[in-house]
Amino acid sequence: MTDLLEPLQHAFMRDALLVGTMVATMCAVLSCFLILKGWSLMGDAIAHAVLPGIVLAYIVGLPLAIGAFIAGLFCAVGTGFIKQNSRIKEDTVMGVVFTGLFAFGLVLFSRTPSEMHLDHILVGSILGIARSQMWQTLGLGGCVLGVTILLRRDLLLICFDPGQARVMALPDRFLTYLLLSLLSLGVVVSLQAVGIILVVAMLITPGCIGHLWTDRFDRMIVIAAIAAVGSTWFGIFVSFHYEVSTGGCIVLTQSLLFVISLLIAPKHGIYFIKWRSRPKREANKNVF
Amino acid sequence: MIELFQSLLTPFQYDYMLRAIWVSALVGGSCGFLSSFVTLKGWSLMGDALSHAVVPGVAVAYILGLPFALGAFIAGLMAAGTMSFIKAKSRIREDATIGIVFTAYFALGLILISLFPARVDLKVILLGNILGISDPDIWQVIAISAVTLLILGMKWKDLMLFCFDPNQARTLGLRPFLLHVTLLSLLAATSVAALQAVGACLVVAMLITPGATAYLLTDRFGKMLWLSSGMGVATSLIGAYVSYFINGATGGCIVTLQTLVFLGVLLFAPKHGILASRRRVRTSESTFVQ
Repeated sequence: MTDLLEPLQHAFMRDALLVGTMVATMCAVLSCFLILKGWSLMGDAIAHAVLPGIVLAYIVGLPLAIGAFIAGLFCAVGTGFIKQNSRIKEDTVMGVVFTGLFAFGLVLFSRTPSEMHLDHILVGSILGIARSQMWQTLGLGGCVLGVTILLRRDLLLICFDPGQARVMALPDRFLTYLLLSLLSLGVVVSLQAVGIILVVAMLITPGCIGHLWTDRFDRMIVIAAIAAVGSTWFGIFVSFHYEVSTGGCIVLTQSLLFVISLLIAPKHGIYFIKWRSRPKREANKNVF
Repeated sequence: MIELFQSLLTPFQYDYMLRAIWVSALVGGSCGFLSSFVTLKGWSLMGDALSHAVVPGVAVAYILGLPFALGAFIAGLMAAGTMSFIKAKSRIREDATIGIVFTAYFALGLILISLFPARVDLKVILLGNILGISDPDIWQVIAISAVTLLILGMKWKDLMLFCFDPNQARTLGLRPFLLHVTLLSLLAATSVAALQAVGACLVVAMLITPGATAYLLTDRFGKMLWLSSGMGVATSLIGAYVSYFINGATGGCIVTLQTLVFLGVLLFAPKHGILASRRRVRTSESTFVQ
């Protein structure tokens, strides 16, 4: 027991757990909306697209988060514009735009002398997070989480049925852009903790876990958040004890939870579906 | 004047630059060829997913001292298999499934790499290292590209039919499942080759952008194949060449150039470009008024 609690004596572990909890909760709540809207890979695109924003902000001397936010939003809006004005499918457009931005960021980065480590941007370093960064993450993360939770009914309707939302005189354009902005901000906040590539997992997997366990949206949010926070803590502890990549451990734990849910979740799990279809087949046999 | 010429030719005096340029061109060509099929089939995100999912395979191969292409290829196919299994067995949407699976594989790769930090360099996998490519790696790239181009060259009509209309392909006596697996394997193999040149993050660009650009320029598939592979070769040649002068990341230069070409085509393409369609709308409006 003392062995398990020993990491908590280190200040950096307490910071990491705090930041991890915030990031995990925020991403989990966002992920519920994203998977319903079919925007799972929008998180992927935005996460890669922030790179040039970060580098440009560094060159100009602005806070990195602002540059990242603008670049992420630019990617989302650019994708929408090109899709509307050409005959190329949306996912292809998204791929072209975000890789273009990422490549541009890479060229800029390789030309800019700095103390930034590309590894940290790509895979994150939650155990090495600075105090000022921590407050920024907690503050911004809290804002994103608060707004998303407060407006969850309206955002949910936008995801399920935009037409219905328009009929009900909701500002559907505004809400769509709001969701995009929340997503961009969420990605920026999480970058510190898990890095560009694994943010994607934080923004998809918890929502899918929730989706397998329940049909009700509020419960889905709660389950997603619990799964995300639990796997973040577990991942951080494991990575502390075995000295392996923290982001990797967090995401792999989430994926394992997903696999377990896929197998045993009531109603939508594989075993349950099999078990349910068996009596039906026998009943059919009796009929004939 | 002569000095200018000489300075333009300096990259060719270095052996490593020459190699980087022609290997990029080879990778760019085979990716470009394949990208027409990828765009048509709507597999854009599959390319993204596979290029990230190969990371644990690369890590295991390096740790065990096997050729890395082998490990990467197996990991890519396993990821594709996992995706289709989850998609068939659950109510999770396809795009979410792709996201879950590739991030899980990638996370596994990260853990493996952090366990053996001395054997594998994460940066090389993520960003490629074409300037320092070793001879065995070059042979792997050549072999993969040759096989890919050969199979695509022989079977492109069947694959095209399969991409357009799998049912039609089945009625004609082709085997869609076999074609599906072929295309997927080619995709996995090519992402492995491109990993060397531009790294995991940008492989997807090489596999989408040329196809999307060519799609804006023509309505005929045969032409599209030529355009996309031509564009892949040209942008890779020029991008690698330019990277010497601006001292930027090679992969980044290649993909930035591809994106710029795409944007140019998006604006100015004769039939499907933004300007052309605006003009068409205006003409039809004026005839309507008359």
